[in-house]
Amino acid sequence: MKMYLRLVSALIQGVEPSDKEKKRNKIFYIVMTIIAGFGIMLPMTFFVGVILYSLTSSLKDFGTMQNGVELFLHLISAFSFVFGLNVIFSVFYFAGDIENLLPLPLRPYQIIGAKFTAALISESVMEFLVIIAALAGYMIGGGLPVYSWLIAVIGMLTLPILPLVYCGIICLVVMYFTRFVKNKDTVNKITGIFTFAVIVGIVFLISKSGFDTNELIKAMSAPDNAVLAVMNCIFPHIQFLINSMELSSIWQILIYLLINAAAIAVFMLLAQVLYFPGVIGVGQSGASHREGKNVISKMRKHSPSLTYLKKEFSVLFRTPAYFTNCVMINLIWPAFLYLIVVMQGKTNFLESFIYGIHSGNEETVLLFMLGITAASVLVTAVNCIASSAITREGKHFAFIKYIPLSYITQINIKALVSIIISGTGMLIYVIAACIWLNTGIKFTIFCCLLSIFSVSFATYFGIYMDSVNPKLIWDDELNALRGNYNIFFNMAMAIVIEAIICAGSYLLFRFTDIGSITIILILFVLILIMNAVSYLLCNYLATKNIEDLGF
Amino acid sequence: MIRLENVTKTYNKTVKALDDVSFNVKGGEIVGFIGPNGSGKTTTMKLLTGIIKPDKGKIFVNGFNIKEDPIKVKESIGYIADSPDMFLRLKGTEFLQLIGDIYRVPTEDRQTRIESLAEKFGLTKALSSPMMSYSHGMRQKMMVIAALLHKPPVWILDEPMIGLDPKSAFELKQLMREHTKEGNAVFFSTHVLEVAEKLCDRVIIIKNGVILYNGTLEELEKQNKNESLEKIFLELTEK
Repeated sequence: MKMYLRLVSALIQGVEPSDKEKKRNKIFYIVMTIIAGFGIMLPMTFFVGVILYSLTSSLKDFGTMQNGVELFLHLISAFSFVFGLNVIFSVFYFAGDIENLLPLPLRPYQIIGAKFTAALISESVMEFLVIIAALAGYMIGGGLPVYSWLIAVIGMLTLPILPLVYCGIICLVVMYFTRFVKNKDTVNKITGIFTFAVIVGIVFLISKSGFDTNELIKAMSAPDNAVLAVMNCIFPHIQFLINSMELSSIWQILIYLLINAAAIAVFMLLAQVLYFPGVIGVGQSGASHREGKNVISKMRKHSPSLTYLKKEFSVLFRTPAYFTNCVMINLIWPAFLYLIVVMQGKTNFLESFIYGIHSGNEETVLLFMLGITAASVLVTAVNCIASSAITREGKHFAFIKYIPLSYITQINIKALVSIIISGTGMLIYVIAACIWLNTGIKFTIFCCLLSIFSVSFATYFGIYMDSVNPKLIWDDELNALRGNYNIFFNMAMAIVIEAIICAGSYLLFRFTDIGSITIILILFVLILIMNAVSYLLCNYLATKNIEDLGF
Repeated sequence: MIRLENVTKTYNKTVKALDDVSFNVKGGEIVGFIGPNGSGKTTTMKLLTGIIKPDKGKIFVNGFNIKEDPIKVKESIGYIADSPDMFLRLKGTEFLQLIGDIYRVPTEDRQTRIESLAEKFGLTKALSSPMMSYSHGMRQKMMVIAALLHKPPVWILDEPMIGLDPKSAFELKQLMREHTKEGNAVFFSTHVLEVAEKLCDRVIIIKNGVILYNGTLEELEKQNKNESLEKIFLELTEK
C-alpha cells in the first residue's frame, strides 16, 4: 500500500507544475487562482447547484425528483468517459515515465493501478466540484436528511471511477490487439479522432431522434423514463447512489460501492494480462531508413519565418496530444451548437431569433455580435494553441533563445498558427451562420472581421499569459497541457474579460439611449484596442519574460 | 573571438553559479572547458549563447557584445546543447531545413554541407525519418550537423562527444581541428580528460563558478611536476 501511495504521489507530481515553476511567479499564481476561483469555479458550481435545485423541486410534484439528478450524473459520466479516453491512452501507453516504470519490479496491475489513480485525481478536480454541486442542489431541492451529505461526499469521490475504468478497459484491449502496429502515434491519433467522432455521432443521433427540450421535460416527469433506463445500463451504479440518498438505505450505497469495486477488479485483472504485451515496444518506431541523398537535393532556401511556421504546424499536427487537444477540439463546437439548436425543437426561440436578425431587431443583432466575439475568444482560449505556445517548447525552450530570430518574430509566428487554426474554424462557423440566417454580404464581412480580431486578441493575450510562467518541465506532450495552470488561468481570464465586455455592452443597450449600431461599433473599436494592448503586452512584456527565463 | 569580462551569475539570488569569471578564446584555438558536475560549465555555455543573462559583466562573441547585438552573436555561433532531444516529431531533413532557413544558408551551400556532414557521420539514410526514431547517438550527430550547417566562426559545444560512436567522435575532432586551422574558435566542455589532453590548445578548469586554471596543458603539467592530467584535475578540484 505504501509503495502504491508513493507511486501515485510521484506520478501526480509529474503532472503538476514543479515547485520551482510555482515559485517563479507566486503573485501571478495567487491573483490568477482568485480570478479563476471567482470567475469560473464558483459561478459554475453555483449554477449547477441552482439548476439541480430547481429541477428537483419541480419534479418533486410528479414523484420523480431523482430523474433530474440521475440524468445529470449520467451526462457527466458520459462526458468523463469521452474526454477521459484520450487521457487514459496517453497516460497508460505514451507517457514519458513508462520507460522508467517498466524496468522496476512492479506487476502490471500495480503500474496501471497507480497510473489510473493519478489520472483520476488529476482529471477529476472540476468534476468533483460539479458532482457535489449537483448532489447538493438535489438534496436541498428534495429536502433530504443531513445523513445524505455523507453519501454525497462518497458519490463525489467515487462517481468518476466507472467512466475512467471503461476508458481503461477499452485502452488495454485496443493496445493489446494493435501491439503489432509499429507506428503507435497513429493509434493514439485515431483514438483522438474516434473520441470526437463519438461526440459528433451522439449529437447527430439526438438530433435525428427529434428529441427536444419540451420532450425532455415531459420525459423527466414520467416515472418510467426510457432515456434513464438506457443510461442505467451503461452506468448502473448511479441509480443506487441516488436511491441511497433518497431512501437513506445502507444497502443501496453498498451495492453502489460493490459495482465500483467489481469494475476495478475486472479492470485490474485485464491490466495484469494485457498491459505488458501492449506496452512493451510502444516506444519503438516504425521508421525505415531508406531514402538518402535525393532528399537533400530537394532542400531549398525559404524565409526563416515560413519554415518556423511550418515547424509549428508540424509539431501541432504530428503530436497526438496536441493534435487532439489543440486542433481536433475546434471541430467539436459546431456539434454542440447544432445540439443546442436541435434541442430548441418546437420552441419559438429560434424562429424569433431568425426573425429578429432578418428584421434588423437591434437587440437580436447586438446579441448575435456579442455571441460571435465571445465564441471567438472562448474557442481560442479552449484550444490552448496560444496559451501553450511557449510551454510546448518544453526542454528545448533554449532553442528559441539561441537562434538568431528575434523573440517577437517567434511570438508573431506562434500567434499566426493560433489565428490560422482558431480563426479558420471560427470563420467557417460564422459564415455558415450568416448564410443560414441570410444576413447579406456586408453584415457577414463585418461578423468575420469581428471574429478574427477577437481570435487575434485572445491569441496574443494567451501567449502573454503563457510567457509569464510557462510549464517547461514535462515528460510527455500531454503533460504539457494537463495540469497546466496557465491554460486554465488563460481560460478564466478570457471568460471574465468577455463576460465584462458582453454584459457591459448589453447593459449599455438596455439602460441607455445608445443604439445597437453604435454599441456594436464601440465593441469593434474596443476589440481593436484590446488587440493593440495584447500585442504590446507580447512585444514588451512577453519578450522580456522569455529573455529573463533561464532554463 | 570569445571574451568574458568579470561575469557573475546567481540563481534564485542564492546559488552563485559563476563568480567574476573572465577569460577569452582566440581565433585558431580549441579550448576545453573542464570541471566537476555543477561547477558552472553549462551556465557559461548558456551565457555565451544568450540563453541566460549575466547579473554582472560583459560577454563578447566574434566582436559583438551579446547585450547590444544578440542576433549578430547568435548568427556567429554554432551551438550544441547538452540534450539532443529536440523536435523529435520532425524528420531529419525538416530539422536541418529549419536550421538552414533560420541561419539563411543558401540552397547550394546547405545541400553540399548536409551531404558531406551526413556522409561523415553516417546519417544520410536516416535523414528522411522522424528524429523520434533515432538513437541518442544519432540525435547527437544531428545536433552536430545542425550546429555546423551555417559555418559559424565560433563553435560552442556542450559535451559534444556524449553518445557519439568512436568514428563520429573522431570525425568531430577532425572537424574541430580543421575549423580552427581556418582561424575560427572552438570552445567545448567535456568530462573526458583524454579528449581535452589530445585535442585542446588550452584548457580552462572551473569549480564552484570560479576559474581554477586557464592555460596550456603543458604548463599545467610542468607546474605539477609532470603528473597525469587526471591526477592534477582531481587535486585541483578536490581542494
